[in-house]
Amino acid sequence: MESLQIPPVDLRLLTPLLIVVGWAGALLLIDVFFVPDGRKKITGYLAIAGLAVAGLAGIPLWNLSGSTFSGMLVLDRYSLALTWIFLIAGALSIAVALDYLPRHAIEQGEYYPLIMFAVGGMILMAQSADLITLFLGIELLSITLYILTGFAYPRVASEEAGMKYLVLGAFAAGFFVYGIALIFGATGATSLAGIAAYLGRQPFAPQEETLFLAGASLVLIGFSFKIALVPFHMWTPDVYEGSPTPVAAFMSVGTKGAALAALLRVTLALEEAQTFWLPILAVLAAATMILGNLGALGQSNLKRMLAYSSIGHAGYILLGIMVAAERGAEAFLFYILAYTLTNLGAFGVLIALEQRGEAAWSIDDFAGLYQRRPLLAVAMALFMFSLAGVPPTAGFMGKFFIFTAAYAGGLGWLVLIGVLTSAIAAYYYLRVVVKMFMQEPVREVRPELTRGLNTEILIAGVATLILGLLPTPIVLLVERSLVALGG
Amino acid sequence: MATVIQIIFGLIAALIVGAAVMVVTVRNVIHAALWLIACFFGVGALYLLLEAEFLAVVQVLVYVGAISILILFAIMLTRQVTGEGVRQLVGGWRLWLTAAISALLFAVAIVPTVISHSWNVPAPPAPPGTPEPLAGVAELGRAFVYEFLLQFQVAGVLLTVALIGAIVIAFEERARRRRVLTLAEEHELRKRLAHPPPVEAPAGEPAPAPRATPISEGEVQQ
Amino acid sequence: MLANYAFIAIFFVAAVTFPLAPLVLAFFLRPKRPTPIKQSTYECGLEAIGDLRVQFKVQYYLYALAFVIFDIEVVFLYPWAVAFNQLGLYGFTAAAVFLIILTAGLIYEWRKGALEWV
Repeated sequence: MESLQIPPVDLRLLTPLLIVVGWAGALLLIDVFFVPDGRKKITGYLAIAGLAVAGLAGIPLWNLSGSTFSGMLVLDRYSLALTWIFLIAGALSIAVALDYLPRHAIEQGEYYPLIMFAVGGMILMAQSADLITLFLGIELLSITLYILTGFAYPRVASEEAGMKYLVLGAFAAGFFVYGIALIFGATGATSLAGIAAYLGRQPFAPQEETLFLAGASLVLIGFSFKIALVPFHMWTPDVYEGSPTPVAAFMSVGTKGAALAALLRVTLALEEAQTFWLPILAVLAAATMILGNLGALGQSNLKRMLAYSSIGHAGYILLGIMVAAERGAEAFLFYILAYTLTNLGAFGVLIALEQRGEAAWSIDDFAGLYQRRPLLAVAMALFMFSLAGVPPTAGFMGKFFIFTAAYAGGLGWLVLIGVLTSAIAAYYYLRVVVKMFMQEPVREVRPELTRGLNTEILIAGVATLILGLLPTPIVLLVERSLVALGG
Repeated sequence: MATVIQIIFGLIAALIVGAAVMVVTVRNVIHAALWLIACFFGVGALYLLLEAEFLAVVQVLVYVGAISILILFAIMLTRQVTGEGVRQLVGGWRLWLTAAISALLFAVAIVPTVISHSWNVPAPPAPPGTPEPLAGVAELGRAFVYEFLLQFQVAGVLLTVALIGAIVIAFEERARRRRVLTLAEEHELRKRLAHPPPVEAPAGEPAPAPRATPISEGEVQQ
Repeated sequence: MLANYAFIAIFFVAAVTFPLAPLVLAFFLRPKRPTPIKQSTYECGLEAIGDLRVQFKVQYYLYALAFVIFDIEVVFLYPWAVAFNQLGLYGFTAAAVFLIILTAGLIYEWRKGALEWV
């Protein structure tokens, strides 16, 4: 058929994605053919190298922007910045796992390619300008995470976590697809641009758009599950607690970050329908901030505490998304970066304390850590301060930007809730610090620090400090990254 | 003609709903799986009635052909088929209350839509740039390669990851399990036992039936 | 289009009716005088002991999963094959890439030893 032309495909725009996914596939085969059992660390180093190459390959794309694959995939500075954040998250999650997996006798070479596939899914989500592409990205990420959650084979808790996540995640995916179908039925488009064009054709009248609104609500349910917004957060503590700690670390920053990034794009596309969309987001954000932080208060298990705290942080990030059209997107990017580094660092300390056969997640195990491992205790204190939003850390700057952007965007009452819940959050974060520095050890826990872990904690700690002390260069970078994000 | 189709639709719908109800009420899980297959068939027939031939083929190929096999195998793997002795963590009124609230919320989202949406109005004109609506299988094939090339390939990656996941989670390492001989190895072993080297094996001892007991890998290599 | 399938529907109805009708007829026509001898297992070896069901190996499930995955691959390739003549080299390449991705998974599975029957 002559009339069909090959659609222009600009492969440059998806260089990082191609490298990550291609490298992951190749690494899978390299691992199973050439890497002997017991030396699977080689695979891990190769995976980190692949992520680094993908990151470097992204640098020349900074001045490039455009869309390809019939407009279903876009590259702009926003997606590129997110890509880098995701690559860092993936590389750090691999670094902490290098020694964790053999120590717990659950080492399988597949861990590293799977993390890379997950990063590929996240990049796809950040770049997608189309609901179908977005869904495929979510699924690629989710399927990988279902596997990784159940990775610690002999631990029943890990299997249970994988099972829970799979069943609930499948439901959420069902809602998401149903929502896409309804939106397509109403607007005739799955691309965000097409939906925005449909909404822009006349003033928004909710009573005439029920089909679209039902679809949008269902899509939001799918998002809320992935981000773990409050009424859809129930799975989070159980899954984080059951899954291997590096996976929990990756999930806490990865799924959340990618899903929030995609939600930001969707929110921008639904600009015309914001009288409907924003109040829902506001309620979700308020509930998430309040219940996430209150839930963390009662936890004596640090892994569960971090799970609840990550729920609470999603609420703060949601504020940035709601005012994305103004300065919220910048605050969002900065917060994601700060949160990713801080949270990965905190999980890194948790991993250092974890022994084979027994988990040192109880808050009492942190008692007197300063006397045994002063540097580790200082690092943990830094991460806790950052998560609590105490200056001069990255977390403080992130919260500052988010709250000012939200306040300028007219979300005063949400900012008030945010500040109040941050005060609550400070209590349970600082409790850990107090335990570490001012109490005697309750029992002997010998942290095992290995090279990968040391590097990870060092990188995360230094970055947390730098972002807090000298945020200007990053802020400038972030600001510049949003020139192209017109919606 | 229209009434005939409506009657057929009614029959198929009754089959689907009836089978679906049986799936969740029958105590025996294998019976539930068989009812599920009937339900899948009904959905396939419904697709045919809607003149969606390809979907009907996919329905039969994937759901009736593959998914049902998967479900049956999964049942064969489980120990307790009848469901007795299974402890339910949340039961009684709390379960029903949760189910009722969820169903109610979903109904709140869907029912007004179904009622208030003007269904018979032709679809709004698609914004420029959207692909043309698809009709047949050939168009679908073209769309996979042209408009949806990216999705097509990502679907391939997705399937591969699913395969890896199946192996990572369900597959036991060879070292951890015992192994049965392949036919060629069995043949080899029988030949060796029939003509034993003079010193090691005394004559007259009957050759063991190779299939009867699993022989571990170490023994085969001797 | 539906007319084409009407034959299948008629065939389906006939296929269900023919075996069912004699059974139903026999149920109503036959005399019912059960005795213990008649109801015993008839020349089929020993009385069965224990459960009929055996627990399968996980290997079966792994095969079934691989089967499902490649079945879904067929779903993608089927429309492509129908449209093959119109797609040219470009379409061929696109499907080849798709197949290479899946073949990588298959090679992995083979090398891992998951295809061996144990």
